[in-house]
Amino acid sequence: MIFELTEEQNLIRDMVRQFAETEVAPSARIRDEEERFDRALMFDRLAELGLTGIVFPEEYGGGGADYISYAIAVEELSRVCASTGVTLSAHLSLGANPIYLFGNEEQKQQFLAPLARGEKMGAFGLTEPAAGTDAGGTKTTAVKDGDSWLLNGTKIFITNAGEAETYVVFARTDKNAQKHHGISAFIVEKGTPGFSFGKKEAKMGIRSSPTMELVFENCRIPAAQLLGEEGQGFKIAMKTLDGGRIGIASQALGIAQGALEAAVNYARERKQFESPISRFQGVQFQLADMATQIEASRLLVYSAAFKASNGISYSQASAMAKLMASETAMRVTTQAVQIFGGYGYTREFPVERMMRDAKITEIYEGTSEVQRMVIGSALTR
Amino acid sequence: MKILVCMKHVPDMESKFKISTDGRWYDDGDLAWRINEYDEYAVEQAVRLKEQLGDSDITVLSIGPERVKEAMKKALAMGCDRGVHVVDDRPSDRDAMAIATIIAAFARGRNFDCIFTGMQSQDRGSGQVGLLVGEMLGLPAVSTIVDFSCIGEHNYTIKRELEGGVRAVVEVRGPALFTCQLGLNTPRYPTLPNIMKAKKKELLTVPVAELAGGGNLQDTVRLFFPEKKGGGMLLEGEVPQLADKLIAILKEKTTVLA
Repeated sequence: MIFELTEEQNLIRDMVRQFAETEVAPSARIRDEEERFDRALMFDRLAELGLTGIVFPEEYGGGGADYISYAIAVEELSRVCASTGVTLSAHLSLGANPIYLFGNEEQKQQFLAPLARGEKMGAFGLTEPAAGTDAGGTKTTAVKDGDSWLLNGTKIFITNAGEAETYVVFARTDKNAQKHHGISAFIVEKGTPGFSFGKKEAKMGIRSSPTMELVFENCRIPAAQLLGEEGQGFKIAMKTLDGGRIGIASQALGIAQGALEAAVNYARERKQFESPISRFQGVQFQLADMATQIEASRLLVYSAAFKASNGISYSQASAMAKLMASETAMRVTTQAVQIFGGYGYTREFPVERMMRDAKITEIYEGTSEVQRMVIGSALTR
Repeated sequence: MKILVCMKHVPDMESKFKISTDGRWYDDGDLAWRINEYDEYAVEQAVRLKEQLGDSDITVLSIGPERVKEAMKKALAMGCDRGVHVVDDRPSDRDAMAIATIIAAFARGRNFDCIFTGMQSQDRGSGQVGLLVGEMLGLPAVSTIVDFSCIGEHNYTIKRELEGGVRAVVEVRGPALFTCQLGLNTPRYPTLPNIMKAKKKELLTVPVAELAGGGNLQDTVRLFFPEKKGGGMLLEGEVPQLADKLIAILKEKTTVLA
């Protein structure tokens, strides 16, 4: 076992870190404040650097790198701006990856390649008002009508919604089938008649990342845009979320790392009782625990990513990585605010934003409870 | 056009330096390493020249232990075509003349049209290596360049930075050597596709003994941290005079007002 990144992975980390620090970090605070998504910076630049299709083969416009490189890219972006991190993660893991995993050759050429090249942005429509963790409760319907499907229903909390051009959307195609079996996945393009966007969510964190409703009213989708087999939707959703968890775990890892570095720098500078507070053992112990938990999370995240790249089953590993990294992010950012004291509670310093951003990582793409269900059921099967 | 870029691997200047046990250099364990900042400008300028002229070939050379390969991979990912790693476990034992001798020995007979180096390294900072290589190869060497244009093959118009914010325009006919200064360009990020392509690029290994000749003409005998002086510079007086003094200092000591 070798605990060392490859030269290529190190180069990718250096590149993304340099980009994140020079271009993304300066506007992170103001974008959060204004709840503003900056597509030129947060997506188009990622495309220019070759990050939007990082894990896909070159024949589909991808970069041909591995999942650890992808995890590193999301981690480094999230270290300075969690909104930029999730933009990449939702685009790649949720929007593009199901098409890579389940699309036929035509669908890959038509829909995956522009996503991988970053000419188009991707998103994923699964969650509904009454179907979150219980994806089997999907109420959106798709009814076959000649050579097309008619979609009706509403999806909520959709990351990248409004901005993305290509959506993978789940709808019930068989009302009589058992609830997990009657769901199918569709590729839906922005601009299709009958497809519109509902309200934009006003969120606690990741405020520079757009989250909106998708509304389908007799939205006609060509039969060729059914993804995978009819009735295979639940499986597609679950497989997609297995990969998505690596993205969110990496996002959480980056948030935590950013908060730790901010806390260490602050503790070195902040003087109380005529001494930098970093000299106090109480503060050092806190920092030590934060760093240790982050490193443990990192090993779990990279290990899940390694499995994903090497054809080893990674459902349980990615659940563990996401559970550990997201709960670590919440603990570490809360602790970082504490180390900053009163300043940490102000919006002048980045740690309060990191704390707000961390919370969502325990909720989306499977709550911490769902991760425990995945791990627990695998253990007791 | 055949282009050579010389590159040094140096510690990240944010690192915490410790003097080595022999007291003559810094301890190189536990440091983060990167491409010497000025050499990154050199790599970028070489790649831009190739992009301008087309049909060109860039060799990047670095002297040092195994770890310098990582920096060379970055240069290859930025657009250099091949790397030459001159393997030397203790390059810090060699003075500027000895290092220049190695580079010149490699370059001699290979007919490079254009050689770029940093104007100095961030750790040794002698500022001599590039100029000595030029001298050894009998090439014109233009130092501290902040602007570079190639006007037709082998004809260059260069801006150099002088002290006090003055700049000079120099015309030179190649083959020539240029040492690159801050402000020349903004080095690009190696994009992901180029990082992947860099894996397939040639990286030659040359034992230093094949190129080295002669010993040092000078030796660093002691390295030390100067005693800390208290405070910074304190200006006193009326506000208008203070502003004038500050502007004068900024002009003289920095480039922020240039």
